Amino acid sequence: MTVKVPAVRSNRVIVKAHTLRIEEERFGWKLILPSVIIIGSLIIYPIIYNMYLSLFDVKLQGANIYIGLQNYKNVLTDPSFWHAVLTTFIYVIGTTIGTTLIGLGVALVMVKNFPFRSLVRALILLPYIAPVISVVFSWQFFFDPVNGLFMHVTYDMLHLFEKRFSLIGSPQNAVIVAIIFNIWRSFPFSYLMILSRLQSIDNSGYEAAEIDGASSWQKFRYITFPELYFVIGSIVILRVIWNFNKFEDVYLLTDNVKVLSVYTYFKAFTGVMDQGQGAALALIQFLLLIGFILFYVKKVLKW
Amino acid sequence: MVVKKKNIIRKTGFFLLILLIVTFAVFPFLQMLSLSLKYQFDWGNPSLIPKKINLEAYKELLNIGTKLRAVPDSIKRLLENKALTRAQRRSITKKYQETGDVFPFLRYFGNSFFLSFTASFISLIVATLGAYSFSRINYRGRGIIQRGVLFVYMFGGILLLIPLYQVAIKSGLARTGSGSFISLLIIYMVQTLPVSLYMLGNYFRSIPFSIEEAALIDGCTRFEIIYRVIIPLSLPALSTVFIYAFMIAWNEYLFASVFLRSYKNLYTLPIGLKALFVSKNAIWDRIMAASILTATPVVILFMIVQKNLVSGLTSGGVKE
Repeated sequence: MTVKVPAVRSNRVIVKAHTLRIEEERFGWKLILPSVIIIGSLIIYPIIYNMYLSLFDVKLQGANIYIGLQNYKNVLTDPSFWHAVLTTFIYVIGTTIGTTLIGLGVALVMVKNFPFRSLVRALILLPYIAPVISVVFSWQFFFDPVNGLFMHVTYDMLHLFEKRFSLIGSPQNAVIVAIIFNIWRSFPFSYLMILSRLQSIDNSGYEAAEIDGASSWQKFRYITFPELYFVIGSIVILRVIWNFNKFEDVYLLTDNVKVLSVYTYFKAFTGVMDQGQGAALALIQFLLLIGFILFYVKKVLKW
Repeated sequence: MVVKKKNIIRKTGFFLLILLIVTFAVFPFLQMLSLSLKYQFDWGNPSLIPKKINLEAYKELLNIGTKLRAVPDSIKRLLENKALTRAQRRSITKKYQETGDVFPFLRYFGNSFFLSFTASFISLIVATLGAYSFSRINYRGRGIIQRGVLFVYMFGGILLLIPLYQVAIKSGLARTGSGSFISLLIIYMVQTLPVSLYMLGNYFRSIPFSIEEAALIDGCTRFEIIYRVIIPLSLPALSTVFIYAFMIAWNEYLFASVFLRSYKNLYTLPIGLKALFVSKNAIWDRIMAASILTATPVVILFMIVQKNLVSGLTSGGVKE
């Protein structure tokens, strides 16, 4: 008798704990459900619908016509598509390396103590937070052939060129400007990530190295850099993903630089508005990105 | 002595470096401000300080004192005629106000503000519940959802643009201005949702569970805990996420340019500015003044939450 009572009670506790857990699970699902429905119906479903559309000749009015893989064939045999791929790679590589290096350099400076440091730190975030649309015109003015400062310095003062011209007027030069513009806009991001890592490095390693007579380069190479390796690796992959898909930063500055997003935009929303081909293009761009990420994760991060 | 000299060189070099970095970051903004205040004859002058201050651009954009400027004198005389009813008078002046010569900056500003505010507010509510769920409650499928949110980061806007546009066309939403506007509102909410979920999830995990336990023992239900304990505790994080989402929507160009293309009254600031720049060649003072006014709210919001935003940004990267 004396044994029975606690047994019953503990059974009841288990049952109660079990229903509590089910209740908890149900509550968790209730809370996440709106997010799941929204993301499912407005992100996942459209992507599947995009695959479906890429198999059709999409009409703006009336029914779509099934054409199988014709859109893909059209895209892949078009030399301007391959040119866009090349431009995208140049853009992504240039911007990623540029932002990471400049971010690293700026972080190494900002980690030191100097007067007005917090003001300076706030000021250099401005490019990152200001809306793209509000800064593109200032950059365009900078390269304006008539009034811009760039021509004033290179033509009037240094006599580097034979006549005034717009540096963003031709595709070859414009891609360089687009890269510099993107570096300017996003270096604060990599700087912030690197700075927060730098600040958490323990000082004792440096002190020991100093006693051993290490040079500042050696200190950077053997103490700082290994600590930063992971954060730099993640900056690179984030920047690759974002810059590969960049649209606004390029298109609003100049429509001369046809990276894939801009190329697709022109195909799908100007002229004949070939949205079927646009859908195929968007999907190809996505697959290229996934391919690159898998390669990067395996070969560079060696996961 | 030698050491001292070397030190001085080092120090000046260091300050020059800081000066260089700050100039690189800030110069485009200074140029913007300077140009918005310059008269046309002054545009080619490389100095950043205007020879004469010109406030016309700001006045025009903000609609100060320009109400009747475009109205010819003959019409003005007609307006003074006492025989006219008020409604007639208003319809006449209205004709002259919307000549298209004036850039309806305030209306675009209003459109942008309404879209960004509503979208990020709804997204914040949905994300608070969702983030609480997957950061605090154990259930099957939680891991998939968490990873799924990260996966969504990889999708560029262009991948969603065509299918969503097709859906809007086929469902008839894109046929009316209000339908397009609502579509855009929903899209902005969706676009800011993954970021909000991710940032809030990270934050909720940093709140000690013991606080919730105490509330549970006091007899609070789970839902009460969310709005009595979690929300008050995470107000700084919530406002940061809200402002971040607001900034995403405020900056958005791609979807707005497609959905609002044929509804000029509903333009947001980014497409309005771009259209202004394309339609009229080189009216630099107005373009720059509009740029400054577009950037100002975002910069102010940023300054309010600077500290939180910076730590939020660095806690694992945020979608752009």
